[in-house]
Amino acid sequence: MMNDPYSSVVRRLFANPKHGGVVDGGVVVRRQASDVDIELSAAMQGEILKTVRFRAYGCPHVLAASEALCEAVEGHPRAVLASFGIHGLAQELGVPVEKTGRLLILEDALRALNFALDGRNV
Amino acid sequence: MIYLDYAATTPVDPSVAAVITEAMANAHTLANPSAVHLAGRQSAALSEAGVETVASLLGCAARDLILTSGATEADNLAIQGVARWRADRGRHLVTSRTEHKAVTDVFSKLEREGFTVSWLTPDANGLIQIDAVREVLRDDTQLVSIMHVNNETGVIQDIAGIGEMLRERDILFHVDAAQSVGKLDIDLESLPVDLMSIAAHKFYGPKGIGALYVADRPGCQLEPLFYGGGQQRGRRPGTLPVPLILGFAKAAEIAMERMTDDLKHVTGLHDRLLTGLQQSAGLHVNSHPQSHYPGILNVSIDAVEGESLLLGMEPVCVATGSACNSRNQEPSYVLRALGLSDAQAQSAVRFSFGRFTTEQDIDAAIDAHVTSVARLRALKPRA
Repeated sequence: MMNDPYSSVVRRLFANPKHGGVVDGGVVVRRQASDVDIELSAAMQGEILKTVRFRAYGCPHVLAASEALCEAVEGHPRAVLASFGIHGLAQELGVPVEKTGRLLILEDALRALNFALDGRNV
Repeated sequence: MIYLDYAATTPVDPSVAAVITEAMANAHTLANPSAVHLAGRQSAALSEAGVETVASLLGCAARDLILTSGATEADNLAIQGVARWRADRGRHLVTSRTEHKAVTDVFSKLEREGFTVSWLTPDANGLIQIDAVREVLRDDTQLVSIMHVNNETGVIQDIAGIGEMLRERDILFHVDAAQSVGKLDIDLESLPVDLMSIAAHKFYGPKGIGALYVADRPGCQLEPLFYGGGQQRGRRPGTLPVPLILGFAKAAEIAMERMTDDLKHVTGLHDRLLTGLQQSAGLHVNSHPQSHYPGILNVSIDAVEGESLLLGMEPVCVATGSACNSRNQEPSYVLRALGLSDAQAQSAVRFSFGRFTTEQDIDAAIDAHVTSVARLRALKPRA
C-alpha cells in the first residue's frame, strides 16, 4: 500500500508477537529511553537459548524488532547474541532512519542479556 | 474499514457527488463563467446561484465571499492579505498556539518578514480567555486570528466574545471555521467576525474548494496572494470551478436542512464512544468539558504508546494529530500547548465522526481501542 509506514514483515510481527512475555525464573534485563522501554528475558539449556521473551513499550517497529530478535535467537547457541546484527534487522524490517535510535536500545538490551547470561554461567 | 477521521475530511454526500458528476457533463457548466457569450453567462448564473447558497449557510452576502481552493488558502489570504494591506498602520498580530498549521505557519512566515506576533496559550481545557487576548493588544495591533472549533480537540472558542472586544478597538478578527461551518449554526450578520475561512470538504462537500468571508466594512481589505485575470474583483483571480461550486452549494443546502439532526446524531455517538472507551483505566479526555463540538473526541491513555495503539486499532481509521502532520510522530503541538506531557500527547487518539457514522461503527471503534490498549499494556515491561 502506498505511504504505508510499515512493511508486511513489521505488520506480521506486530500483529502476532509469539515471544511476548517474560521467562519465569530466567535472566531478565531491561533498557529504557524516553520513548522506548525494552525487557528481554531468557532461559538456557546448556549452551542453547532455550526460551527468549520480550516485553516492550514503543512504536510498532520496536515491538516488531523485539519479536524478530527473539524469533531469530531462540533455539540457537548463546554465541548468536554476540553476532546478531541490529542494522541488518533494521533493513529487513524497513525501519525508517529516524527510528534507528530506538533500535539501538534493543541492541543495548541484547548486549546486556549476553553479559547477564555470562554472569549466570560464571 | 471504519472511517472515524471526519475532522481530516468528510465523505462526500452522495447528493453532492451526483450534482458534481452531472455538472461535469452538463453543457451549461462547460464554459468559463467569465466569458461574455451565452454559455459563459449560463455558467456564471449557475456559479452565482451556488455562491448565494453558501452565503445563506453563513448568513452573509454572496459578494462578501471569495472562493478559494480550501481553508488553507483562505487562511493564507486572510492573514497575509490583511497583514500586508495594513502594514503601514502597524505590524503587530495575534494568534494562538493551538491554531491549525495553515494559520501558525503563516504567522511564523510573517514573523520572519518583520511582523511581531503574540502567541496566546490556552487554558488547560483549551479555551482562549478573552482577557488573555485583551492583555496582548497594542496600539499597532492589526489582526487577531482565533479558530472556531479546534481540529484536534473539538474545543469551541468564544468567537462572539472575542470579536465584540476587538470591534471596540477596531482590530480585525479572522476565524478559521473549517471545523464548524455546516455543523454549528453561524450567522455572520450578527457575529462580530471580519474574516472567516471555510472548506467544503469538511462538511460533506468536494475537496478543492472553500471560501474566505471578508466583511464589507471600512478597513477590512486585503492584498491578494495571486494576480492575473481579475476574477472575484481581483481579490482571488483564476477561472471559477463551476462543478465544485455547485457541489459546495449542495453541501451547504444539505447542511442547512440537517444541521440540527446531524448535531443530535453526533452527540449521541460521542456519549456512546466516551462511555465505551472508559472501560480502560487511565483514560483522559483532551477537550473542554462543555465548550466542545461533539463530533470530535480526543483521548489520551496512560501507559500506551500512541503509534502502536493506532496500528493495533486497524482497520478503524482514526488520527493521532491533524491529518496535515499525522505522518510526523512528534507529539501534537496542540496537546502540548494544553499542558499534556509528551507521553500523554503521544498516546492521544482523535476520533471524529459525523452524518454517516453508525452506532455499529462506534462499537467497533470502542472494541478496537479497548482490545489494543489491553494488548499493549500486557506487552509493556512492569514498573
